[in-house]
Amino acid sequence: MPIYNAQILKIDASETRRYAGLRNAKNFGEKNILEACEEALLFLEVRGVWNIFDYKNHTVGSEPPFTIAGNSIIKHLDGCEKVICMAVTVGAAIEQEINKKFERGEYLASVLLDAAATSAVEQAADLMEKNFAAKFSKEGYKMRWRFSPGYGDWNLTAQEKLFKISGAEQIGIKLSSAMMLEPRKSVTAIIGLEKFSAQNNFSYKKNCATCNKLDCQLRK
Amino acid sequence: MIEIFDGAMGTMLQAGGLQAGACPELMNVEAPEVVKKIHRAYIEAGATIIETNTFGASSLKLSHYGLENRVRELNFAAVKIAKDAANFQAKVAGSMGPTGKFISPLGDLEFDDAYKIFREQAEALSEAGADFLIIETCIDIQEMRAALLAAKDACNLPIICQLSYSEDGRTVTGTDPRSAAVILSAMGAAIIGVNCSLGPEQLVPVVKILAENCRVPVSVQPNAGMPYLENGATKFPMDAKTFGSWGAKLVEAGATYLGGCCGTTPDHIRELADVVKNLSPAPRRFNRPLMLASRSKAVVIDKNLPTVLIGERINPTGRKKLAAEIREGSLLGVKKDALNQVKAGAKVLDVNMGVGGIDQKKMMAQAVREIARITDAPLAIDTGDAAALEAGLKNFPGRALINSVSFEPDRIKKFLPLAKRYGAAILILPLTENGVPKTAAERVDVAKKIIDAAKVHGLDDGDFLLDALVMTISADKDACLEVLQTLKFYRELNLPTTMGLSNISFGLPNRPLINSTFFAMCLAAGLDAPIMNPYDESMQNALKAAAALLGKDPNGLNFSKISVTTATNKTQEKILLDTLSAIKSAIREGDKDEMPALIKKAVDENFSADEITERALTAAMNELGEDFGSGKIFLPQVLLSAETMRLAFDELKKILPAQKTSTRGTFVIATVKGDVHDLGKNIVGALISNSGFKLIDLGKDVDSEKIVRAALEHDADIVGLCALMTTTMIQIDKVIADLHAAGSAAKVMVGGAALTQEYADAAGADAYAKDGVEAVRLAKNLLKN
Repeated sequence: MPIYNAQILKIDASETRRYAGLRNAKNFGEKNILEACEEALLFLEVRGVWNIFDYKNHTVGSEPPFTIAGNSIIKHLDGCEKVICMAVTVGAAIEQEINKKFERGEYLASVLLDAAATSAVEQAADLMEKNFAAKFSKEGYKMRWRFSPGYGDWNLTAQEKLFKISGAEQIGIKLSSAMMLEPRKSVTAIIGLEKFSAQNNFSYKKNCATCNKLDCQLRK
Repeated sequence: MIEIFDGAMGTMLQAGGLQAGACPELMNVEAPEVVKKIHRAYIEAGATIIETNTFGASSLKLSHYGLENRVRELNFAAVKIAKDAANFQAKVAGSMGPTGKFISPLGDLEFDDAYKIFREQAEALSEAGADFLIIETCIDIQEMRAALLAAKDACNLPIICQLSYSEDGRTVTGTDPRSAAVILSAMGAAIIGVNCSLGPEQLVPVVKILAENCRVPVSVQPNAGMPYLENGATKFPMDAKTFGSWGAKLVEAGATYLGGCCGTTPDHIRELADVVKNLSPAPRRFNRPLMLASRSKAVVIDKNLPTVLIGERINPTGRKKLAAEIREGSLLGVKKDALNQVKAGAKVLDVNMGVGGIDQKKMMAQAVREIARITDAPLAIDTGDAAALEAGLKNFPGRALINSVSFEPDRIKKFLPLAKRYGAAILILPLTENGVPKTAAERVDVAKKIIDAAKVHGLDDGDFLLDALVMTISADKDACLEVLQTLKFYRELNLPTTMGLSNISFGLPNRPLINSTFFAMCLAAGLDAPIMNPYDESMQNALKAAAALLGKDPNGLNFSKISVTTATNKTQEKILLDTLSAIKSAIREGDKDEMPALIKKAVDENFSADEITERALTAAMNELGEDFGSGKIFLPQVLLSAETMRLAFDELKKILPAQKTSTRGTFVIATVKGDVHDLGKNIVGALISNSGFKLIDLGKDVDSEKIVRAALEHDADIVGLCALMTTTMIQIDKVIADLHAAGSAAKVMVGGAALTQEYADAAGADAYAKDGVEAVRLAKNLLKN
């Protein structure tokens, strides 16, 4: 399966601020956030893998086939001919550092490093998407935004199959019996590809509107 | 002279009978007439260079069809068809596309393996008689470097290098056109260009930047816009006439080789050829300064531009800790120095792995890869070992500087060919086998000899950085004067200059003063790129002042900006507060520096530990809790205060070890079995323990039995359970049931992202806390009853 370990030169500070729950505390911690973003670079071990499959009748044409259940994800992939299944991680070293910091009593730095790691894994996933866009747009495909188990009403148990067909294991991610990815700062996702037509008005921008967790502090 | 390439091949092959999912290159042997017809159509439309049908004819690409053993055959056949079709009316360019894999560390294909794959194809294409090789549609500069190296080794044909750029003006792996121009022209590309991914309009600026940053011709082959679906068929929006009309703009931007990529047809090429055939190439102005580049950033060293600081800290010489780390194979310190130096203003990073008893070649490769992953500064490979040098140059996805080439036979013989091969610039150190020439005139003489030798190896202006060679004034009174004179001579050669500065003051007191004074003198005499410690404040100050004095900082604007310090009256405010209020305020603001002194002051004023805790620490946390509850502050702010509070507690224990502060009760906390999320639970734990509870933290992924045992053993007042996911929160029910069954009287508090009040109630929990601050409030309440 194709590997792409994207390069991250700078971690997005405003996303880190959001993940740290500081979106509405604009005057607090800018320096600490920038430090966390910079320090995180030292510990990133970005690894990414992906695979492309046909998609028909709510079923991913993998071996074995993977039938999608859940209204939100079915709606999200409606009209797509192919799907990309991807997995990406920033590794375990940063997690160890997050824990070390907390143990040393550096609570704030620990929480901010954790938020920077979250930004980083999302950025790595974005960079993988940039690669997919370059690859598939000339074939006339347009990408829907990436969707992960646990979003909307797509049950977390879908993780098991997505984990397998995305090749997550190949890049050292493990799946626990409770469907958790380890290292913790890892993402698996599915991206729908549809043939782009001029009339299409589907929203390609990732948004929080489809998510039913209305009280989420990260909600945009 | 303007040359015209052909247009798309794939869509034409499909029209000619290529089945979906079949190998396009197999048509070269199975349907050569179809391929030939396409070539003819393009030649008749006006193409002066046609590309062979070999875009995917590398062993790696062919292996998808089980055809990996037919590389030679399919490439040979393709060139033959093209030459037949061209019939001396057009030139033939052997096409090589990307492997589809990324080069390590961005992917799982090693540089050397990519090289072998491209070499095999390049040999076949050139031996079959192609006039050019064209490496195209690459999205990664490192893959392009491997392909270009392979092509150069395989033949003497001119090599065209075309990258593809995304809408943000960079390739998928981040290379901008300027860096690409610097890297590829230095490595010997005959023509540099861009193809695919975007339409002609978006490629005009890319062409312009390429043309402004190299001397070789620039090529461009756009798509006919971005494809879309109409009535079930993929279409490209740009008609032939519009496509052709963009030719004039592209020529004006600097292109002299023009053609088409996806979605273009012989009609598009005909229109393009009509528009551009009588145009004259745009004039090019590029005076070839010294340019270095990383994967994503170019740096120019030139007398008319700001001084370029070369950071010297990644060097284990005299740095025991760094040397020990490198010896153990750890690059954490190296990476830290890379980031910190760039932050301090370094534009180029010197990398030296000179530690005894290690495999320097391996370590250099690894260090270069790791540094290049986290910074965009170009690197200087600093070594005397040719194998380590090659490892560094190969693994650096950019144009590096070699530090250094002296007039010692070994360096001339081994380093200069490596510089040419990998397109590196060289730092010229005017040393000979007999040592350092004493006078400036002698040094310039040696430098010139090295330049002559470099030119024999194919290097030229723009590849040289001259070192003035600094000796120490305590050994030679004229050391400084000779350096200044050397710099002046170098200026006359019109070449950029460098030097390591700190040697000048060796053996003297107050070295920073000597160094910074010397530095300012050298800047005035013509120093362009000092190799120095960017953390050194006196040197940085000298640099800033010198920039203002030497007209590189007009009106001293920059100097004024950084010299203004903003005074705050924060300290004044604090003086007015009584000690306990000051402690409270320091906690609220997370001011850790002040804390030890404040605690000591409070103790000196005879406050007891309990008084300090209650009236200052707990009071501060209560206020924070209220502010948090009302949305005035956010969790990380509370955590910073908790951190400060922990420091205050530690300080209290230190000063008053005998006085015990009372505890509110025992709180056992755990993340339930199956759940590996630690941080949320840790936050709650930290806030709880800072609020006067005795905390027993059992960690994450803890099974019910262990939690129950701990609750009984520690006679817990409260058991806090954390679960993040829907898949693990069911564990909470089990723990609560087990606690009841075991007869524990502890109250149970639960929390975590997936939990809700409803779930907590149904599970029989005594409290649900949505965050750490709430947990503290609820814990206090639970114990009141």
